[in-house]
Formats: sequence, C-alpha cells, structure tokens
Amino acid sequence: MLFNSIHFLFFLPIVVGLYYLLPQKFRWILIFISSCYFYMVFVPKYILILFLIIIIDYIAALTIEKVEGRLKLFYLVASLTANIGLLAFFKYFNFLNENLVSVFSLFGKEFHPINLSVILPIGLSFHTFQSMSYTIEVYRGKQKAERHLGYFANYVLFFPQMVAGPIERYETLGNELKAVHKPIYQNFADGFRLVLFGLFIKMVVADNIAPYVNQVYLDPLKYSSFEVLMSIFLFSFQIYADFFGYSTIALGCAKLLGINIMNNFKTPYLAKSVSEFWSRWHISLSTWFRDYLYIPLGGNRVKIPRWSINILIVFMISGLWHGASWTFVVWGALHGIMLLLERYFSMLFKFEIKKEWNTLNVFLTVKTFVVTSFIWIFFRAESFQNAKDMLKALMRNQNVYPLQLGMLMPVVVTALMIMMDLFLYNSRFDAKLNTFKTPYRWAFYTVLLFCLMALSGTQKFTFIYFQF
Amino acid sequence: MFKKIVIKVSTLIIILIGLNFIYNFTLYEKDLNEKCEQIVEIRDKQAETDIFYFAESSNFNTRETDSIQSTISDLTAMFFPSLTLTAINKPATHAGIYKVWLKNINLEVNKPKAIVVTLNLRSFDAAWIHSVLETQLQESVVLVRPYPNLINRFLLSLQAFDNKTNEQREQDMLNDWLNTQLVFPFDFKYKTVREWDVSFGQYGWDLADGTPEKNKILLTCHYIKAYAFNLTENNPRVKDFDEIAGWCQKNNINLYLNLLAENIEYADSLVGKELVFLMKQNRDYLVKRYNKGNCKVVDNLELVNGLEFTDQTWTTEHYGYKGRMTIAKNVANSLKDQFSKEYKKAY
Repeated sequence: MLFNSIHFLFFLPIVVGLYYLLPQKFRWILIFISSCYFYMVFVPKYILILFLIIIIDYIAALTIEKVEGRLKLFYLVASLTANIGLLAFFKYFNFLNENLVSVFSLFGKEFHPINLSVILPIGLSFHTFQSMSYTIEVYRGKQKAERHLGYFANYVLFFPQMVAGPIERYETLGNELKAVHKPIYQNFADGFRLVLFGLFIKMVVADNIAPYVNQVYLDPLKYSSFEVLMSIFLFSFQIYADFFGYSTIALGCAKLLGINIMNNFKTPYLAKSVSEFWSRWHISLSTWFRDYLYIPLGGNRVKIPRWSINILIVFMISGLWHGASWTFVVWGALHGIMLLLERYFSMLFKFEIKKEWNTLNVFLTVKTFVVTSFIWIFFRAESFQNAKDMLKALMRNQNVYPLQLGMLMPVVVTALMIMMDLFLYNSRFDAKLNTFKTPYRWAFYTVLLFCLMALSGTQKFTFIYFQF
Repeated sequence: MFKKIVIKVSTLIIILIGLNFIYNFTLYEKDLNEKCEQIVEIRDKQAETDIFYFAESSNFNTRETDSIQSTISDLTAMFFPSLTLTAINKPATHAGIYKVWLKNINLEVNKPKAIVVTLNLRSFDAAWIHSVLETQLQESVVLVRPYPNLINRFLLSLQAFDNKTNEQREQDMLNDWLNTQLVFPFDFKYKTVREWDVSFGQYGWDLADGTPEKNKILLTCHYIKAYAFNLTENNPRVKDFDEIAGWCQKNNINLYLNLLAENIEYADSLVGKELVFLMKQNRDYLVKRYNKGNCKVVDNLELVNGLEFTDQTWTTEHYGYKGRMTIAKNVANSLKDQFSKEYKKAY
C-alpha cells in the first residue's frame, strides 16, 4: 500500500483506533495483521519471502544464544547466508546473468542465461538488512534473542517502515513494539504533523519535480544544456523529498501508535562535506554499514591505504545495495572517492571545518551539494549510456530557446524545500512546530494543507526507494 | 483529551471549508482546463447550444484524400442552419464518460433541445471496457465528482479513481475472453471468445503457397474480439446508457443514440455469419432497450460499405466522406421529427 493513496488514508485511522481500543496483549496481533495486509496490497505472494526471513532469523537467533564457541559463528553464517542468498536471488540474479553473458562474450564464448523472470519484492533490501542486524547483535551478545515469534515478526514487518526503512535495530524498535502505549494527545499531534509534512514533501515537492526530471533523463540530447543542468539539480531535490517524505510519514504513523522510530534524515544538503552528508542522509543505512561492515573491516584503526580501500569497499557495496546495476556501484564509488579526497585534503593542509556558519562554510555547503548532485546522475540514469548522454548534453553548451519544459512549478517547490531545510536545520518538524504559538502553528498547517490538496502532482509516482 | 481532539478536528474542518473556497477562486479553473477540457467546453458553449453531439474519434477522423474533411457533426449541422450544434469529442470515450459530461450541463443556464450520443457497438466489448486508455479517461472526470472541488483535486493527486495498471487491465480483458460464455440459438463450436480467437489464430487464412496470411489472421482475430459478445443488462456500458437515458427522461430532453456503422461486410467475409449474427442481435437488443419515450436509436449499423472505412487493417468506426455523410444524413433524418421547422435539405 502506498502512503500517498486513498486506501492508506482510511487504513491508518482504522489501525490507530483499533490499536488503542485493544488490550495490550492483543495489540501485536493487530500490528501483525495490518502489516501483512499493508504489504500484500502490493504483491500478496511475496509476503511468503518475508515469513521465510522471519522464521530463519527467529530460529537462528534462539540457536545462536543457546550454543557456544564455533557453533555460534556457524549459525550466524548460516542465517546471514540465507538472508543474503534470498536477496541475491531476487535482486542480483538477472544482474549476474547479464554480466556472465558479457564476460563469456569477452572470451568469444556464448552464455545462455537461465530465464526465471525474477521480480524483486518491494523493500527486500530493507527487510533483510534489518533482520540481519538482529542476528548479528544476538551473536555479539548485545541483544537477547526474542522468544515471542509475533513480536519478532512485527519487528521485521512493522508497516510504517517495512518497505523503505528506516532500518531499525531490535534494541529500539523491538522494545518500542513491546512497550505499553497509552493514547497521549501529544503523540497524536506530533504524528499528524509528521504525516502531513511527509505527504507535503512527497506529493507537492517530489511529485511536481518528477515529470520534469523524467522527461530530461528519457532523452537528454533533446534538451538544452541549461535544462539538463536544471534536471540534475532538481533530481537531488526530488529524491530527497521523495525519501525524506516517506521517512517522515513513517515516523508520523509510528508516532500515532506511540512508537518512536529513528530519524533517517537531518537536512543533508546543508552538509559541508561528503562525509557529513552521509551522517545526515539515510542515516539508518549509513550506521548499518558502519557497524556491520566498516568497523569489522578495521574502521579507522588501520593504516591509510587499507582504510582507503575499506571506505571504497563500503561505498561500492552500499551502491550495489541500492540497485543491481554497475551505475549504482559507480555512484557509490564516486561518493567513496570524494570522501577520501576530502580526508586527504584535510590531513594534508590540517584543515578543519568549523561548526559555526561563515562564508567558507556556505561555500563548502554549496560545493557539497553540487558534487552530490552530479554523482546522483549515476544513480538516476538507466544505464551508462544514459549517464553519458546527460553529461554530453550538458557539455556541448547548446542552448535551445524558448525552453521546451515548463520549469516554474519544479523551481517553486524546490525553493519551498530549501526554505524548509533552512527552517528545520538540525531539528525535526514536529519538535520545531512545538516551539510555535498556536495561531502560527495553525497558520502553518493551513498553508501545508492547501499546498497538499491543491498543488500536489497529478501523476502517479511511487516512492523511489520502494524499488530497493 | 477527547474534547481537545474534537475541537482540533472541528477547526480543521472549518479551515478545509475556507481552503475549498480559496481553491475555487484561484486554481480550480486552471486545473479544470488542464484535466477536463471537454467539460470546460460544455460549460463555455452551453448557453448558445441547441443540440449537443457527444462522440469519440468517429466524429473527427477523416480520410486524408477526402476533398471535404467535415466531421459527422458538421455535416449533420448543415441540415439545421438555424440551430447551434456543439460537438464534444474525445478519443476512446464511452457512455461512462458521456454520462459525466451530461451531468455537467447546467440546465439553469440553458436546456439543450436535444442530445446526440454515439452508440458504438465496440464500446461494449471487453477490449474497450478494459482498455489501457481507461485510466486517462477516468482521470479526466475526477475534478467534477460530486464532492467539494478541493477534495476532488486531492483525490486526483491520490490517484483515487479507476487507476489499474496496464497489466491488470490486460489480465481482466483476457479473463473476460476466457470465461464469458457466448450464447447462440444454434449449435456453434466455440464457447468463448478465446476459443474462437485461438482457432482463427491457428487455422485462419493461408496464402496460395500454404503459408499463413498473417495480416488477415490478425484482422480476423480483431473482429472476433471486438464483436463477439452477448449484450445483457450486466454490461457496464448498458448500465451507463441506462443512466444517460434516465437523465434525459428526467430532464425532458430528447436523446438520440447514434448507433455507428460497423464493417459488417468484412466481419462476414473474415469471420463468418455467426459473428454477424451476434452484431445484429446486439444491435436489436440496444434498439429494443432504448428506442422508447424521448430516446431514439439511429441505426446506422449496416449503412456503410466495407471500403468506406478508413482503417482497412483494424476495427474502427472511422469513415471516408461518403460514410460520414451517410451517417450524418441518417442522424439529421431522425432529428427532423423534432426540428421539422429548422430542417433544410443540405445535400
């Protein structure tokens, strides 16, 4: 089910109402059923894959806790292999086939791929990563294995964040799901604000930018350099508004049930460096890679060459996590390279970014935005040829007037998004609004509501991160 | 807490009423122009319109080589020079959309004297009912639903209309062809469209050297899929036409259902008499159902010969000049009873 659907606008109040009407001991059943229903609206049969992940990791965690020594590691590896295997099968099977065809043809041989018509279940990368973090934590002894299958299932299935994160840890979400939540007015108010704001940025900002960007990426060489440049910058805001919108609605939905989930964004385009960008963008994924890949690889306790390789490995795998295509790997690698360059520069020139805002920091923020925007080309492009066409269209400096694409709406909503970001710097929407006096708060709601209802995009665009 | 929530919700409702008011005065017309072109046209022209002519592409598609490119509605209007006939067209439109157009005629501004609506036999078939064009058609009428305009605009953004994916629609179409039983008053070996279609697809037409004549087979299969159905009151288009007829009856406006000509000749030569039987049986059903009261069915089904159809490799109701003229004349003849004073022989 999509958050931006009429279906969801009925589903959510019903679930919230029933949740508070039911006694605590039955609430997990409601969350379980509603989460299954939420997921099954997409493709019903794929729920079976989720059930399989739940069963595997539930049993694995209980076993890991029971056994000692090498057996512990064996069960962990078995569980991780099952999770990664499922992900690999559904997400990377076709990719692997395509690459084998290319490799074989390099040697003048033919490779006939097996065609299984595999379609990626929505949000599989999120479920598997979330579930894997649990078994790893149990293995490390930092988390007790959950005995109640229902609660564990809800940890993997919890509908507000099941298809596009945030990727939660059991330590937080598991406990939140178990806690007794009473209907509190402040939770309703905060939840409502977050859902309203999330819908606003998805439907008004992202969905009004999407048609412009999609048209340019479809055939970049048809458009002027200026239009291509605009589409590159606009995509940065589209994907931000799209994903931040989803995460904010997820926060709001959970809050309405009294459940707190983590912030996935912290005004990332106000970052002064690529490394800071990654501490503000898709925070739950960055911390996952930090805790379960970067640190085990040695983190920053190793020598510079090894550390540089570790950074590149982490970013390239992160790219591959997003999508089964080499364009995503390049996207990840470019981020890694930029981060390394920044570190080398600061080490070489003993340069440190100051926390206070000054002209240099404004410059660095703009620089980081421009750099990440150009790297997004590889994320958004359908292929390397598409990315090449974008760059070619940009470089040839050909300007066609009048402009072929209406730019007013995308630019206006982007300006709104920038203002929102400056307004929200280092804080969250609900908390920020709590500092307002009632009339100002309601004036804010009124403006958001009007924009949401009267200015939302009218084409159907699902959340970009659903495909991962 | 309950009291607090009730107060906030009430405030929200008041704000929404205010926002709806603002929306009506600011953006509504722009949105309507973008999404519901035909409804804007109806509203703009209704004051001076005597006869509305609602149609799909049959009205405006012409043959390139025709020296006269006039539409069926233009040709009909020539018979009534003192009346204003306004044509409202949209490709692939059907009764489900016409009925929304009708309801957007503001009878307080001007009550039209007559309404002509094309009755396209193919629009009752599964291919049209489950056409991928349906999404766009449904989108075009969301803004005029009987809710406050701001709510309608929001519903449009939420895609809260019949918004199935192309794959879902194609599946529904296939299911219909697979499962709907064809009924004949005589023995016939094919029980469903699917069986009939597959049979012609496999053993259709061969060239002299024995190889299959692909284009002819394809066209034959199109004819089967387009016309092989039995009309009943459960057909959604029949329900829509019932609503149209009911609305006209209630508002005392004469309704002329322009049953378009189909290529009977080709249906007969390509598929056979069984298909022609179904086409005529369905025509009889429609005539019997709607030819009463202030509603009249203008039967053109067999009036245009095969070569007058501009698409010779597809099933359409697009006609050359002679075909358009024949239909226009027939429509004008039916309108003559009501507008005998205004009628002038045009050609």
